[in-house]
Amino acid sequence: MRADEKGSRERRRITGALLALLLASASPVLAQRPDLAGGWMLNGGKTVFGAWDLTDEGRRRFEAYDFRTDDPALKCIGASWTRVWLNPNVLVQITQAADHVRLRYEWMDLDRRIPLVDPAMPDPPRGSIAGHPALGRYAAWYDGDALVIETVDVAPGYVSTMEKWAGLPQSRRMRTIERLTRSGDVLTIEITHVDPANYRKPLLVTITYPRSKFELMEYNCMPEDAAVVAPR
Amino acid sequence: MMRRLVPLLLVAGAPLAAHHSVPVNFDQSREIAIAGVITEIRWINPHSRFRIDVKQQDGSVLEWLVEMGAANTMKRAGFPMERFAVGDPVTIIGNPGRRDRVVLLRTAVLQDGTKLSP
Repeated sequence: MRADEKGSRERRRITGALLALLLASASPVLAQRPDLAGGWMLNGGKTVFGAWDLTDEGRRRFEAYDFRTDDPALKCIGASWTRVWLNPNVLVQITQAADHVRLRYEWMDLDRRIPLVDPAMPDPPRGSIAGHPALGRYAAWYDGDALVIETVDVAPGYVSTMEKWAGLPQSRRMRTIERLTRSGDVLTIEITHVDPANYRKPLLVTITYPRSKFELMEYNCMPEDAAVVAPR
Repeated sequence: MMRRLVPLLLVAGAPLAAHHSVPVNFDQSREIAIAGVITEIRWINPHSRFRIDVKQQDGSVLEWLVEMGAANTMKRAGFPMERFAVGDPVTIIGNPGRRDRVVLLRTAVLQDGTKLSP
């Protein structure tokens, strides 16, 4: 090989590498994003609900919870993202695009389109779902192998309406961070609720979702069907 | 056909109807059986339900509500929903509700003895 050919090839290789580096630094969102796409379902997964350290106000609200009347799902409304993730038997379909991530939850037909933002932005654009005020406004970014979703501006309500955690409260001050990572066919969702009005320490919840072969189905929840019905 | 309340042995099971949270709404440490006639069938989300009329020993009739999983879940599980019809006698085995006259379906026993579990 002639020396000028070798030099030219070397220049192209270096230029290509520099270009790739430049693109990666200009678009960190695309460069490191994990592949979370596909269908996932809680069944067969595992839930670890951390200990909660309630403030006096938080304890008062927790103890006042009445499962017969206070569960927003009785009106087909999501209580919190933890509550949404905790529902078994329903599919979550994830798609990823350059500027957003879309999570379609079969439960209550929640269609969560989350803008990808620079986490350093003071007031990033956020998504929300009409009719679900307790699910707040959210934005996301990639952090290494994780998709991080930050939710703020939630309406006061309940982090969970299920199991022994039913009635754990949330206030308007609550900030929720969800970290989604994937290991093979398991999606792990690590949720941190920071709500100084109700908790002395952050509330941590970890939920795993195995991959699912099922297709997304319509839920069509109607409040008259979802409400607590009594025998006549 | 038997139309009375029968307490059964404790049987633990997997959650079927998570919308109302099974442990919050039903006593999973107990299992009961009720026998009656189906008066309403609703295959819906977040949880399907039957109403059944249960004849009491004094001849009066009390309605019970039978809750079960979401219609989507039942479809995915291949639960034979077409086997049920209004007017059919049925025995429901399940966990008693924390509300009065409500039961979470674990097994339905049809008139011909077929047992169906979602």
